Amino acid sequence: MRPHESPTGELMNAQVVRLLSDVSVHGDQHLAEVERDLVQMDVLLDEAIKKLCASFMAIHQAVDRQQEALNGLLADGMSAPEQAARISALRAEIAEHVGAAVTGLQFQDMTSQLIGRMVQHLAGLRDVFGALDANGAVLPESGDEALLAMLGDISDRVGARCSELAGSVRSTVNQRHMNSGDIELF
Amino acid sequence: MTKTILAVDDSGSLRQMLSFSLKAAGYGVIEAVDGQDGLAKAKQQKVDLVLTDQNMPGMDGLSLIKALRAMQNYKNVPILMLTTESGDDMKAMGRAAGANGWLVKPFDPARLTEVVKKLIG
Repeated sequence: MRPHESPTGELMNAQVVRLLSDVSVHGDQHLAEVERDLVQMDVLLDEAIKKLCASFMAIHQAVDRQQEALNGLLADGMSAPEQAARISALRAEIAEHVGAAVTGLQFQDMTSQLIGRMVQHLAGLRDVFGALDANGAVLPESGDEALLAMLGDISDRVGARCSELAGSVRSTVNQRHMNSGDIELF
Repeated sequence: MTKTILAVDDSGSLRQMLSFSLKAAGYGVIEAVDGQDGLAKAKQQKVDLVLTDQNMPGMDGLSLIKALRAMQNYKNVPILMLTTESGDDMKAMGRAAGANGWLVKPFDPARLTEVVKKLIG
């Protein structure tokens, strides 16, 4: 093609397809990075929450032992009634905080489920780019119809992949607060 | 005699939390990482109650319940679902599979042990 001359339809199609292919390669690289980071985040969250849980339980056990010691003192009559009442109230307060902490610490289970879903959807998006790239390698030889047919093929592949993904992806998490959920006995 | 609960969940931290809460209430706890593992452990040792997640790799919670209910010695053992799923359609499927109750995550230890106590003492 000479300078200042418009590209012919076929040449234009080939350029469009090459551009699509370039987009797919770059998109795929970015998605691979996001996917890697999400998986890494999940690993770190899991590790952090396990350590938090272990420390939390150790603290709780220490508090329990302290409580037993105090109970022993109370039983031996070494404490005034008002002190006994105070210790009893503290025990109830600690139990309430422990319950709330156990409920709150479950955030990792839910975030992990959401990360798992994101990774599956990213994989689906990578498939889209893969379809673009695969078609980019086969350039249509003539006219707009060939380009339309190629884009239609990409659309079909992406649609089929979306249907597959819908059947295999894990359910989303709808909870908006870390309060305990409903209980229903059948 | 200490009652034993089988806790099935693919999340390690959630199993930790369940184990901690149930042991603090005086129950023995066996942990399983997914439905398949839960089924294997239920076959090894009869448990008094099963608490299972729904979404797990391999065998999910509903499939585990169906498999357990097909076993003679698990026909009457209480099974509770503990899951993030809260839709009525899922609950209906759980009930049809043989679950005795549906608990939506996150759980509160006091409310969980209250339910467990109601079912197995």
